[in-house]
Amino acid sequence: MKILILISCLISLPILSQTEKLQEEKELEVVNFNSIKKILIQDGLSEAAKKKEKQVQILKKEQAKVETGRFMYPTESEIWGFTTEYWLIKNAQILDWDFEKPDYGIDKSFRTLMQDLGFYQKKFKILLVNSPNIVRAALPGNEEIVLIISVPFIRMMDLSKLEISLMLFEDFLRLDLGYFKKSVATEKLTKIAGSNFQGTKPDISFVEELLKNYSSQINEKGYSFQQMFEVTKKMDAYLKSNPELWNAYFRLLGKMDRFLKTNIQFKDYIKLYPSPEMQVKWLSPDEKVL
Amino acid sequence: MWWLLLFPSLLFAESNSTDERVVGTFYFNPMFGHVHQSALRTSASLTTIQCSHPVKVIESSKVSVSKEWAYVQVADHRGFIRKEFLTVKRPECFQGKYPRFFDAFNLDLSELYYWGRLNDQFIQGETRVK
Repeated sequence: MKILILISCLISLPILSQTEKLQEEKELEVVNFNSIKKILIQDGLSEAAKKKEKQVQILKKEQAKVETGRFMYPTESEIWGFTTEYWLIKNAQILDWDFEKPDYGIDKSFRTLMQDLGFYQKKFKILLVNSPNIVRAALPGNEEIVLIISVPFIRMMDLSKLEISLMLFEDFLRLDLGYFKKSVATEKLTKIAGSNFQGTKPDISFVEELLKNYSSQINEKGYSFQQMFEVTKKMDAYLKSNPELWNAYFRLLGKMDRFLKTNIQFKDYIKLYPSPEMQVKWLSPDEKVL
Repeated sequence: MWWLLLFPSLLFAESNSTDERVVGTFYFNPMFGHVHQSALRTSASLTTIQCSHPVKVIESSKVSVSKEWAYVQVADHRGFIRKEFLTVKRPECFQGKYPRFFDAFNLDLSELYYWGRLNDQFIQGETRVK
Protein backbone atom coordinates (compact mmCIF):
# COMPACT_ATOMS: atom_id res chain seq x y z
CA MET A 1 0.00 0.00 0.00
CA LYS A 2 2.81 2.37 0.99
CA ILE A 3 4.54 1.71 -2.32
CA LEU A 4 1.32 2.52 -4.20
CA ILE A 5 0.98 5.85 -2.39
CA LEU A 6 4.61 6.67 -3.11
CA ILE A 7 4.20 5.89 -6.81
CA SER A 8 1.04 7.98 -7.09
CA CYS A 9 2.87 10.89 -5.38
CA LEU A 10 5.78 10.60 -7.79
CA ILE A 11 3.38 10.64 -10.75
CA SER A 12 1.52 13.71 -9.49
CA LEU A 13 4.68 15.73 -8.75
CA PRO A 14 5.47 16.84 -12.33
CA ILE A 15 1.82 17.74 -12.82
CA LEU A 16 1.92 20.04 -9.80
CA SER A 17 5.15 21.63 -10.90
CA GLN A 18 3.73 22.65 -14.30
CA THR A 19 3.28 26.36 -14.89
CA GLU A 20 -0.18 27.89 -14.63
CA LYS A 21 -2.30 27.12 -17.67
CA LEU A 22 -4.01 29.64 -19.88
CA GLN A 23 -7.78 30.05 -19.60
CA GLU A 24 -8.19 28.91 -23.21
CA GLU A 25 -6.08 25.84 -22.48
CA LYS A 26 -8.29 24.88 -19.52
CA GLU A 27 -11.44 25.33 -21.61
CA LEU A 28 -9.96 23.00 -24.18
CA GLU A 29 -9.36 20.29 -21.58
CA VAL A 30 -12.83 20.39 -20.05
CA VAL A 31 -14.52 18.74 -23.00
CA ASN A 32 -13.63 15.20 -24.00
CA PHE A 33 -14.32 15.37 -27.71
CA ASN A 34 -13.73 11.71 -28.61
CA SER A 35 -17.03 10.33 -27.29
CA ILE A 36 -19.19 12.73 -29.24
CA LYS A 37 -16.97 13.10 -32.31
CA LYS A 38 -19.66 12.50 -34.96
CA ILE A 39 -22.09 15.01 -33.47
CA LEU A 40 -19.34 17.54 -33.12
CA ILE A 41 -18.35 17.21 -36.77
CA GLN A 42 -21.98 17.67 -37.78
CA ASP A 43 -22.34 20.80 -35.65
CA GLY A 44 -19.01 22.23 -36.82
CA LEU A 45 -17.83 22.21 -33.22
CA SER A 46 -14.73 20.20 -33.96
CA GLU A 47 -13.69 23.03 -36.31
CA ALA A 48 -14.21 25.46 -33.45
CA ALA A 49 -12.09 23.26 -31.19
CA LYS A 50 -9.28 23.30 -33.73
CA LYS A 51 -9.47 27.07 -33.91
CA LYS A 52 -9.34 27.27 -30.16
CA GLU A 53 -6.28 25.02 -30.11
CA LYS A 54 -4.53 27.27 -32.60
CA GLN A 55 -5.47 30.29 -30.50
CA VAL A 56 -3.95 28.65 -27.45
CA GLN A 57 -0.73 27.95 -29.30
CA ILE A 58 -0.46 31.55 -30.49
CA LEU A 59 -1.16 32.87 -27.00
CA LYS A 60 1.40 30.51 -25.50
CA LYS A 61 4.02 31.70 -27.97
CA GLU A 62 3.23 35.34 -27.17
CA GLN A 63 3.41 34.64 -23.45
CA ALA A 64 6.80 32.99 -23.82
CA LYS A 65 8.01 35.93 -25.91
CA VAL A 66 6.91 38.43 -23.25
CA GLU A 67 8.54 36.35 -20.53
CA THR A 68 11.92 36.13 -22.27
CA GLY A 69 11.64 39.80 -23.24
CA ARG A 70 11.60 40.72 -19.58
CA PHE A 71 15.18 39.45 -19.33
CA MET A 72 16.55 41.02 -22.50
CA TYR A 73 19.09 43.79 -22.87
CA PRO A 74 17.88 46.57 -25.17
CA THR A 75 19.13 46.70 -28.75
CA GLU A 76 22.23 48.79 -29.52
CA SER A 77 20.19 51.64 -30.94
CA GLU A 78 17.95 51.67 -27.84
CA ILE A 79 21.01 51.64 -25.57
CA TRP A 80 22.46 54.70 -27.36
CA GLY A 81 19.18 56.57 -26.93
CA PHE A 82 18.87 55.60 -23.27
CA THR A 83 22.52 56.43 -22.45
CA THR A 84 22.36 59.83 -24.16
CA GLU A 85 19.32 60.85 -22.10
CA TYR A 86 20.77 59.35 -18.92
CA TRP A 87 24.00 61.32 -19.48
CA LEU A 88 21.97 64.51 -19.86
CA ILE A 89 20.12 63.73 -16.61
CA LYS A 90 23.35 62.98 -14.75
CA ASN A 91 24.83 66.29 -15.98
CA ALA A 92 21.69 68.40 -15.61
CA GLN A 93 23.23 70.83 -13.12
CA ILE A 94 26.49 71.33 -15.02
CA LEU A 95 24.81 71.76 -18.38
CA ASP A 96 21.93 73.83 -16.95
CA TRP A 97 19.35 72.98 -19.58
CA ASP A 98 16.29 73.40 -17.34
CA PHE A 99 15.67 77.10 -17.88
CA GLU A 100 13.26 79.42 -19.64
CA LYS A 101 14.62 80.08 -23.08
CA PRO A 102 13.67 82.36 -25.92
CA ASP A 103 12.02 80.84 -28.96
CA TYR A 104 14.72 81.21 -31.59
CA GLY A 105 12.65 79.28 -34.13
CA ILE A 106 15.61 76.93 -34.55
CA ASP A 107 13.47 73.86 -35.17
CA LYS A 108 11.81 75.37 -38.27
CA SER A 109 15.06 76.84 -39.55
CA PHE A 110 17.02 73.61 -39.06
CA ARG A 111 14.24 71.50 -40.59
CA THR A 112 14.15 73.75 -43.66
CA LEU A 113 17.93 73.61 -44.05
CA MET A 114 17.99 69.81 -43.80
CA GLN A 115 15.18 69.47 -46.33
CA ASP A 116 16.84 71.94 -48.72
CA LEU A 117 19.94 69.79 -48.59
CA GLY A 118 17.98 66.60 -49.26
CA PHE A 119 17.73 65.07 -45.79
CA TYR A 120 14.25 63.63 -45.42
CA GLN A 121 12.51 61.75 -42.59
CA LYS A 122 15.20 62.66 -40.10
CA LYS A 123 14.10 63.00 -36.50
CA PHE A 124 15.96 65.43 -34.26
CA LYS A 125 15.89 66.79 -30.73
CA ILE A 126 17.57 70.09 -29.95
CA LEU A 127 18.55 70.98 -26.40
CA LEU A 128 19.58 74.52 -25.54
CA VAL A 129 21.92 74.73 -22.55
CA ASN A 130 22.45 77.80 -20.42
CA SER A 131 26.12 77.09 -19.90
CA PRO A 132 29.40 77.99 -21.55
CA ASN A 133 30.83 74.64 -20.34
CA ILE A 134 29.63 72.95 -23.49
CA VAL A 135 29.34 74.87 -26.76
CA ARG A 136 27.92 72.16 -28.98
CA ALA A 137 27.52 68.41 -29.29
CA ALA A 138 25.67 65.83 -31.32
CA LEU A 139 24.69 62.67 -29.49
CA PRO A 140 23.10 59.47 -30.78
CA GLY A 141 19.47 58.83 -29.96
CA ASN A 142 17.33 55.77 -30.55
CA GLU A 143 15.71 56.82 -33.80
CA GLU A 144 16.78 60.44 -33.72
CA ILE A 145 19.81 62.66 -33.20
CA VAL A 146 20.22 64.83 -30.12
CA LEU A 147 21.81 68.21 -30.80
CA ILE A 148 23.07 70.42 -28.01
CA ILE A 149 23.98 74.09 -28.36
CA SER A 150 24.91 76.73 -25.79
CA VAL A 151 22.71 79.82 -25.43
CA PRO A 152 25.54 81.98 -23.96
CA PHE A 153 27.57 81.10 -27.06
CA ILE A 154 24.64 81.98 -29.37
CA ARG A 155 24.18 85.32 -27.57
CA MET A 156 27.85 86.30 -27.40
CA MET A 157 28.41 85.38 -31.03
CA ASP A 158 25.10 87.02 -31.97
CA LEU A 159 24.26 84.08 -34.22
CA SER A 160 21.38 84.21 -36.66
CA LYS A 161 18.88 81.35 -37.10
CA LEU A 162 20.67 80.26 -40.24
CA GLU A 163 24.08 80.30 -38.55
CA ILE A 164 22.77 78.19 -35.64
CA SER A 165 21.24 75.76 -38.14
CA LEU A 166 24.54 75.50 -40.03
CA MET A 167 26.35 74.67 -36.78
CA LEU A 168 23.73 72.03 -36.00
CA PHE A 169 24.03 70.61 -39.51
CA GLU A 170 27.81 70.33 -39.11
CA ASP A 171 27.22 68.46 -35.83
CA PHE A 172 24.72 66.21 -37.57
CA LEU A 173 27.30 65.31 -40.23
CA ARG A 174 29.98 64.66 -37.60
CA LEU A 175 27.65 62.24 -35.82
CA ASP A 176 26.62 60.69 -39.12
CA LEU A 177 30.29 59.97 -39.92
CA GLY A 178 30.30 57.80 -36.79
CA TYR A 179 33.18 59.51 -34.94
CA PHE A 180 31.28 59.85 -31.67
CA LYS A 181 30.08 56.25 -31.49
CA LYS A 182 33.49 54.94 -32.53
CA SER A 183 35.20 56.89 -29.78
CA VAL A 184 32.66 56.10 -27.04
CA ALA A 185 31.54 52.52 -27.77
CA THR A 186 32.95 49.60 -25.83
CA GLU A 187 33.36 45.93 -26.71
CA LYS A 188 30.94 45.03 -23.96
CA LEU A 189 28.21 47.16 -25.53
CA THR A 190 28.26 45.29 -28.84
CA LYS A 191 28.52 41.95 -27.03
CA ILE A 192 25.68 42.56 -24.60
CA ALA A 193 23.17 44.55 -26.71
CA GLY A 194 20.05 42.56 -27.53
CA SER A 195 21.17 39.50 -25.57
CA ASN A 196 19.34 37.65 -22.80
CA PHE A 197 20.32 37.55 -19.13
CA GLN A 198 17.69 35.13 -17.79
CA GLY A 199 18.91 33.46 -14.64
CA THR A 200 21.44 36.18 -13.83
CA LYS A 201 21.36 39.77 -12.66
CA PRO A 202 21.46 42.38 -15.44
CA ASP A 203 24.92 43.84 -15.84
CA ILE A 204 24.63 47.63 -16.17
CA SER A 205 28.34 48.36 -15.72
CA PHE A 206 28.67 48.84 -19.49
CA VAL A 207 26.25 51.81 -19.33
CA GLU A 208 28.34 53.37 -16.55
CA GLU A 209 31.40 52.88 -18.73
CA LEU A 210 29.61 54.53 -21.63
CA LEU A 211 28.64 57.50 -19.44
CA LYS A 212 32.29 58.04 -18.53
CA ASN A 213 33.28 57.84 -22.19
CA TYR A 214 30.56 60.36 -23.09
CA SER A 215 31.98 62.88 -20.59
CA SER A 216 35.52 62.31 -21.73
CA GLN A 217 34.64 62.65 -25.44
CA ILE A 218 32.49 65.77 -24.95
CA ASN A 219 34.65 67.62 -22.42
CA GLU A 220 38.22 66.46 -23.05
CA LYS A 221 38.96 64.39 -26.15
CA GLY A 222 36.93 66.13 -28.82
CA TYR A 223 37.78 65.53 -32.48
CA SER A 224 41.04 65.26 -34.43
CA PHE A 225 42.22 67.54 -37.24
CA GLN A 226 41.63 64.70 -39.69
CA GLN A 227 38.05 64.22 -38.51
CA MET A 228 37.39 67.96 -38.67
CA PHE A 229 38.86 68.05 -42.18
CA GLU A 230 36.50 65.27 -43.29
CA VAL A 231 33.50 67.07 -41.79
CA THR A 232 34.47 70.39 -43.39
CA LYS A 233 34.90 68.77 -46.78
CA LYS A 234 31.49 67.12 -46.42
CA MET A 235 29.95 70.48 -45.52
CA ASP A 236 31.66 71.95 -48.58
CA ALA A 237 30.21 69.24 -50.82
CA TYR A 238 26.66 69.63 -49.48
CA LEU A 239 26.62 73.43 -49.50
CA LYS A 240 28.40 74.02 -52.81
CA SER A 241 25.22 73.67 -54.82
CA ASN A 242 23.72 76.55 -52.83
CA PRO A 243 26.18 79.50 -52.89
CA GLU A 244 24.09 81.49 -50.40
CA LEU A 245 24.41 78.73 -47.80
CA TRP A 246 28.07 78.09 -48.63
CA ASN A 247 28.90 81.79 -48.14
CA ALA A 248 26.94 81.88 -44.87
CA TYR A 249 28.94 78.87 -43.61
CA PHE A 250 32.25 80.37 -44.72
CA ARG A 251 31.41 83.69 -43.01
CA LEU A 252 30.31 81.81 -39.86
CA LEU A 253 33.68 80.03 -39.60
CA GLY A 254 35.51 83.34 -39.94
CA LYS A 255 33.26 84.90 -37.31
CA MET A 256 33.92 81.98 -34.94
CA ASP A 257 37.65 82.17 -35.53
CA ARG A 258 37.77 85.87 -34.62
CA PHE A 259 35.49 85.40 -31.61
CA LEU A 260 37.34 82.41 -30.17
CA LYS A 261 40.72 84.10 -30.46
CA THR A 262 39.58 86.97 -28.28
CA ASN A 263 37.29 85.18 -25.82
CA ILE A 264 38.90 83.26 -22.95
CA GLN A 265 35.58 81.84 -21.75
CA PHE A 266 35.48 79.48 -24.74
CA LYS A 267 39.22 78.77 -24.96
CA ASP A 268 38.69 74.99 -24.84
CA TYR A 269 36.56 75.00 -27.96
CA ILE A 270 39.58 74.96 -30.31
CA LYS A 271 41.00 71.91 -28.53
CA LEU A 272 37.74 70.01 -28.98
CA TYR A 273 36.91 71.15 -32.51
CA PRO A 274 40.18 72.08 -34.24
CA SER A 275 39.74 74.64 -35.58
CA PRO A 276 37.67 77.33 -37.29
CA GLU A 277 40.90 78.91 -38.55
CA MET A 278 41.91 75.67 -40.26
CA GLN A 279 38.39 75.11 -41.55
CA VAL A 280 38.50 78.50 -43.27
CA LYS A 281 41.82 77.52 -44.87
CA TRP A 282 40.48 74.14 -46.00
CA LEU A 283 37.51 75.82 -47.63
CA SER A 284 39.42 78.70 -49.20
CA PRO A 285 40.20 78.28 -52.89
CA ASP A 286 43.85 77.49 -53.58
CA GLU A 287 45.98 80.52 -54.29
CA LYS A 288 47.11 80.72 -57.87
CA VAL A 289 50.85 80.39 -58.37
CA LEU A 290 52.11 82.40 -61.32
CA MET B 1 -40.35 79.92 0.13
CA TRP B 2 -37.03 78.51 1.33
CA TRP B 3 -36.53 76.67 -1.94
CA LEU B 4 -36.28 80.01 -3.73
CA LEU B 5 -32.96 80.55 -1.95
CA LEU B 6 -31.72 77.20 -3.17
CA PHE B 7 -32.68 77.83 -6.81
CA PRO B 8 -29.70 80.03 -7.87
CA SER B 9 -27.20 77.55 -6.46
CA LEU B 10 -28.88 74.72 -8.37
CA LEU B 11 -28.69 76.77 -11.54
CA PHE B 12 -25.00 77.43 -10.95
CA ALA B 13 -24.29 73.76 -10.41
CA GLU B 14 -25.98 72.98 -13.72
CA SER B 15 -23.84 75.46 -15.66
CA ASN B 16 -20.77 74.14 -13.87
CA SER B 17 -21.34 70.64 -15.10
CA THR B 18 -22.14 71.54 -18.68
CA ASP B 19 -19.16 73.78 -19.46
CA GLU B 20 -16.72 70.93 -18.98
CA ARG B 21 -16.29 67.86 -21.14
CA VAL B 22 -13.98 64.88 -21.08
CA VAL B 23 -12.49 64.62 -24.56
CA GLY B 24 -11.10 61.16 -23.91
CA THR B 25 -8.45 59.08 -22.24
CA PHE B 26 -5.00 59.23 -23.80
CA TYR B 27 -1.64 57.71 -22.87
CA PHE B 28 1.59 59.45 -21.99
CA ASN B 29 4.28 58.62 -24.52
CA PRO B 30 7.78 59.77 -23.37
CA MET B 31 9.70 57.83 -20.74
CA PHE B 32 8.92 60.37 -18.01
CA GLY B 33 7.12 63.69 -17.87
CA HIS B 34 5.24 66.20 -15.78
CA VAL B 35 1.73 67.48 -15.37
CA HIS B 36 2.41 71.22 -15.36
CA GLN B 37 0.80 73.94 -13.30
CA SER B 38 0.50 76.14 -16.38
CA ALA B 39 0.89 75.65 -20.12
CA LEU B 40 4.60 76.43 -20.16
CA ARG B 41 7.57 74.07 -20.56
CA THR B 42 9.27 75.56 -17.52
CA SER B 43 6.21 75.79 -15.26
CA ALA B 44 6.17 73.93 -11.95
CA SER B 45 5.38 70.24 -11.88
CA LEU B 46 2.22 69.04 -10.14
CA THR B 47 3.19 65.41 -10.47
CA THR B 48 5.63 63.23 -12.40
CA ILE B 49 4.19 60.52 -14.63
CA GLN B 50 5.78 57.80 -16.69
CA CYS B 51 5.25 56.30 -20.10
CA SER B 52 1.87 54.63 -20.69
CA HIS B 53 0.17 56.49 -17.83
CA PRO B 54 -3.50 57.15 -18.72
CA VAL B 55 -4.37 60.85 -18.95
CA LYS B 56 -7.89 62.28 -19.10
CA VAL B 57 -8.05 65.24 -21.49
CA ILE B 58 -10.61 67.84 -20.49
CA GLU B 59 -12.20 70.66 -22.42
CA SER B 60 -13.36 73.48 -20.22
CA SER B 61 -14.73 76.92 -21.04
CA LYS B 62 -12.96 78.22 -17.96
CA VAL B 63 -9.51 77.14 -19.10
CA SER B 64 -8.08 78.41 -22.34
CA VAL B 65 -5.02 76.63 -23.69
CA SER B 66 -2.88 77.09 -26.77
CA LYS B 67 -3.17 74.44 -29.47
CA GLU B 68 0.09 72.81 -28.37
CA TRP B 69 -1.13 72.02 -24.87
CA ALA B 70 -3.88 69.87 -23.39
CA TYR B 71 -5.72 70.50 -20.14
CA VAL B 72 -5.65 67.18 -18.32
CA GLN B 73 -6.59 65.32 -15.19
CA VAL B 74 -4.20 62.76 -13.70
CA ALA B 75 -5.43 61.24 -10.44
CA ASP B 76 -6.32 64.29 -8.29
CA HIS B 77 -4.20 66.70 -10.28
CA ARG B 78 -5.45 68.99 -13.00
CA GLY B 79 -2.82 70.61 -15.15
CA PHE B 80 -1.23 70.80 -18.56
CA ILE B 81 0.68 68.42 -20.82
CA ARG B 82 2.06 69.04 -24.31
CA LYS B 83 -0.23 67.38 -26.86
CA GLU B 84 2.67 65.80 -28.74
CA PHE B 85 3.29 63.64 -25.65
CA LEU B 86 -0.16 62.04 -25.76
CA THR B 87 -1.21 59.06 -27.85
CA VAL B 88 -4.53 57.34 -28.40
CA LYS B 89 -3.09 53.81 -28.19
CA ARG B 90 -1.12 52.54 -25.23
CA PRO B 91 2.53 53.03 -26.27
CA GLU B 92 5.33 50.48 -26.05
CA CYS B 93 7.57 51.91 -23.34
CA PHE B 94 11.26 51.29 -22.75
CA GLN B 95 10.68 50.52 -19.07
CA GLY B 96 7.85 48.14 -19.99
CA LYS B 97 9.82 46.39 -22.68
CA TYR B 98 12.95 45.92 -20.55
CA PRO B 99 11.69 46.01 -16.94
CA ARG B 100 14.55 44.06 -15.33
CA PHE B 101 17.25 46.07 -17.11
CA PHE B 102 15.52 49.36 -16.32
CA ASP B 103 14.93 48.48 -12.63
CA ALA B 104 18.64 47.73 -12.22
CA PHE B 105 19.40 51.47 -12.51
CA ASN B 106 17.30 52.16 -9.45
CA LEU B 107 16.65 55.77 -10.51
CA ASP B 108 16.07 58.15 -7.61
CA LEU B 109 13.33 60.78 -7.42
CA SER B 110 15.49 63.64 -8.62
CA GLU B 111 16.55 61.62 -11.67
CA LEU B 112 12.92 60.85 -12.49
CA TYR B 113 12.11 64.55 -12.07
CA TYR B 114 14.93 65.65 -14.37
CA TRP B 115 14.06 63.00 -16.95
CA GLY B 116 10.58 64.49 -17.14
CA ARG B 117 11.99 68.01 -17.39
CA LEU B 118 14.38 66.91 -20.15
CA ASN B 119 11.50 65.77 -22.32
CA ASP B 120 9.84 69.14 -21.80
CA GLN B 121 13.00 71.02 -22.76
CA PHE B 122 13.74 69.14 -25.95
CA ILE B 123 12.81 71.00 -29.12
CA GLN B 124 11.65 68.11 -31.28
CA GLY B 125 11.27 67.98 -35.01
CA GLU B 126 11.35 65.81 -38.09
CA THR B 127 12.04 66.57 -41.70
CA ARG B 128 9.27 65.74 -44.09
CA VAL B 129 8.88 62.63 -46.21
CA LYS B 130 10.38 63.04 -49.67
